[in-house]
Amino acid sequence: MKVRHLVWLRRITQILFLCFFLYLLIVSRLSQDIYLNYSLALSTDQDLRLEQPATFFFQLDPLVGISSLLSGQTLIKGFLWGAGIVVLSMLLGRVFCGFLCPLGTLHHAVGTTKPALKGSRMVQANQKTSCQRLKYFLLIFMLAGALLGLNMAGLLDPIALLFRSIALAVLPGFGTALRAVFDALAASDFKMLSMLSYAGEVLVSPVFGYTHQAYQTGWFIGLIFLVILFLNRIRPRFWCRILCPLGALLGIFSRFSVLKLEKYPENCTHCNLCTKHCQGAASPKPDEDWETAECLMCFNCYNACPEDALAFKFKWSFKLNRQPDIGKRALLGGLLAGVAIPFMGRLDGQIDKISDPRLIRPPGSLPEESFLELCQRCGLCMKVCPTNVINPTLAEAGMAGFWTPHLIMTQGYCEYTCTLCSSVCPTGAIREMGVKEKINQPVKIGSAYIDRGRCLPWSGNAPCIVCQEVCPTSPKAIYVRNDMVTAPAGKKLKVQLPYVDLQKCIGCGICENKCPVRGLPAIRTIAAGESRSLRNQILL
Amino acid sequence: MNFEKAITRRESIKKLLRVSGCLTFSGTTAFATNSAESGRPATANNGFMVEGVGETSDYDVKELTRKTFEAAGGISKFISKGDVVVVKPNISWARRPEMAASTNPTVMEAVIELCQEAGARKVRIADNTIHDVRRCFALTGAGMVAKNTGADLIYPRSSLMRRMKLQGNRLDIWPVFVPLVEADKVINLPVAKHHSLSVLTLGMKNWIGAVGGRRNKLHQDIHMTIVDLAQFFNPTVTLIDGIRIMTRNGPSGGSTSDVVQKNTLILSNDPVAADARAARLFDRKPEQIGFIKLGQKWGLGTYDFQKLVRKKVTL
Repeated sequence: MKVRHLVWLRRITQILFLCFFLYLLIVSRLSQDIYLNYSLALSTDQDLRLEQPATFFFQLDPLVGISSLLSGQTLIKGFLWGAGIVVLSMLLGRVFCGFLCPLGTLHHAVGTTKPALKGSRMVQANQKTSCQRLKYFLLIFMLAGALLGLNMAGLLDPIALLFRSIALAVLPGFGTALRAVFDALAASDFKMLSMLSYAGEVLVSPVFGYTHQAYQTGWFIGLIFLVILFLNRIRPRFWCRILCPLGALLGIFSRFSVLKLEKYPENCTHCNLCTKHCQGAASPKPDEDWETAECLMCFNCYNACPEDALAFKFKWSFKLNRQPDIGKRALLGGLLAGVAIPFMGRLDGQIDKISDPRLIRPPGSLPEESFLELCQRCGLCMKVCPTNVINPTLAEAGMAGFWTPHLIMTQGYCEYTCTLCSSVCPTGAIREMGVKEKINQPVKIGSAYIDRGRCLPWSGNAPCIVCQEVCPTSPKAIYVRNDMVTAPAGKKLKVQLPYVDLQKCIGCGICENKCPVRGLPAIRTIAAGESRSLRNQILL
Repeated sequence: MNFEKAITRRESIKKLLRVSGCLTFSGTTAFATNSAESGRPATANNGFMVEGVGETSDYDVKELTRKTFEAAGGISKFISKGDVVVVKPNISWARRPEMAASTNPTVMEAVIELCQEAGARKVRIADNTIHDVRRCFALTGAGMVAKNTGADLIYPRSSLMRRMKLQGNRLDIWPVFVPLVEADKVINLPVAKHHSLSVLTLGMKNWIGAVGGRRNKLHQDIHMTIVDLAQFFNPTVTLIDGIRIMTRNGPSGGSTSDVVQKNTLILSNDPVAADARAARLFDRKPEQIGFIKLGQKWGLGTYDFQKLVRKKVTL
């Protein structure tokens, strides 16, 4: 195989994996045309599930597997894929970064299509610097933190970061813009334009969502994504070289790689083309020592060299490659920070004292401490939720739980017969369960209470009881009593007054979502009473 | 039509001419034939009601639906060749059919097949659901029906809700689910079930699922808004599904213990009469139910069954 072919093989693999990633991301939703065989309905319970392996890239990502193993002492589903990537890195170096990683591919594309630096400045930018130790610091920091019970790997893990950015910021952003166009078209009096808008909506909604998707801190997630992409103008693949903890992890394993960059200094004319095209700042130049741990296996240097001074070759002799330049400071600093962070994260008392009442976790979530050990903050549960109720937290879960999922009932509600989020969680922070289990146990995520000052019948303003109507349990957790109340003009008004039966309430929040009092509804849901927490119980 | 936009002088004159012309024409014809009693002579005079009851233990629901329509004179009496027909079931809640929270999918399938046999150009299933619509389509069996029959499932997207003038007592301008007003024929296909606020939800209340906007406000005067909507959406025919009825914990239900088998279908072109008959399935007197009483008062129909041509088919 010629070198040129190797580079093209890399490009094609990169594109294929990026497309596969985007495909899996887009199909992480309930499609419009889901059919169930209702003749089976009386005999069986068919749970709605995704047909595609939505968590594939998370299984492929060894950082997800290792951090969950360290913190939660559990092997995630499909961890063998991640183990395979580790073995692959031990044989071939960071090929995951060069060939498979969708975020790496994006950076590669952004950095190469319009390079910011030219000529010798690019050569200068591609020299290895001590900045590149930062990623080892981050890796050690996260793994040490994970070992002590706070898994923050997902904040910087490239797969989780890319999924979160695209699912919670990029797609909803474009979706909102498109929907604005279609709504404007639909409002027009020209039949042609309205038809066009319907057709357009049918075409785009499977990708951008069937309703207006909104996520708390979505703008911030999007901003960070843009900044990370922009960093490629300072140095090509800035993220992969300097920040990516997964890259650091694979770099450490690449020490054993048998695919090595062979150098022939006698052929070298010091043209610097290899360094100019190097994506990882891995010192490919023949008179320098090849930094295996920094090399992204893009084969650019091999391809660029006009003098046959470089070649990637398999060498089966047992000789370790150059050791990764971690640096004492990164190691010690990472360990210190990693030891400190799980305890700093508990300073706000969210875990040990009393948790925020708004911290309503998706149904099936593990108890808070175990949840934080496993949650990758990837946003997959938020993407699949059909009502858009699951949102990233801002302060609700404290510092330790930033961007973990929680339910905002004014945005959506938890569907009584839906357990989709539990079926897609890559690490099992939301444990998988069926609808039967959710209903029969029942799995409570919180409880509702009535704000009588706002409630229309309680305040004597009007009959209402929408909350009682929409309450999904049987018998209903919201019941009504007939009573006379005093209306504003002093008249007596006969109304039905709603009450909550805490024994039956599961905290699904549909009452809060459908309450006619907007913004701060007259019936609201709090986390108290959630079945995952012993301490948060209300009733004896 | 956009009612928010100011109307120009020319348009208003055109409209006035058109309306006055129509009025003169209908006035003269009415005078000539001397038969128009009210704005809705069709239902008032030619009102009929067919009850289909499955009495044997293993009767076929589809067959019962067909027989019921045959007794009313056949589907071709209502659906003409080339019509765009919209079937409005009640599939508001993502519940399995046996919970009786939604229209029986077998009945729905039979009705759609009948329409297709009558030569309907297109049959559409449209409902603005309360639960997430994709889950409603899947769990209630409506999706399966659409797949089996080739009917279109209309997804209630925001651009399909358009503000219209309802000219009701309580509701003036409200967003309406467009396919229902653009259809040539509309078949109202509700399920009979208990409702905590309006006592029962039957045919007329089914129109709450045909509008958009902040529907939870409608609860503040539920009976009047039901009647307002029923006078706006005047269906070709109403078929109330009483195969399984939900007798308590409505309208959402969620347990088979709330469900009673009644094996009854009620077909009528009089929305009030159909609801009144369905109320009897729950042992309720029609006049005790607010929207039925108001419906008769506002001339939508009658719950005096003597005024109707009544038939009964059994299987």
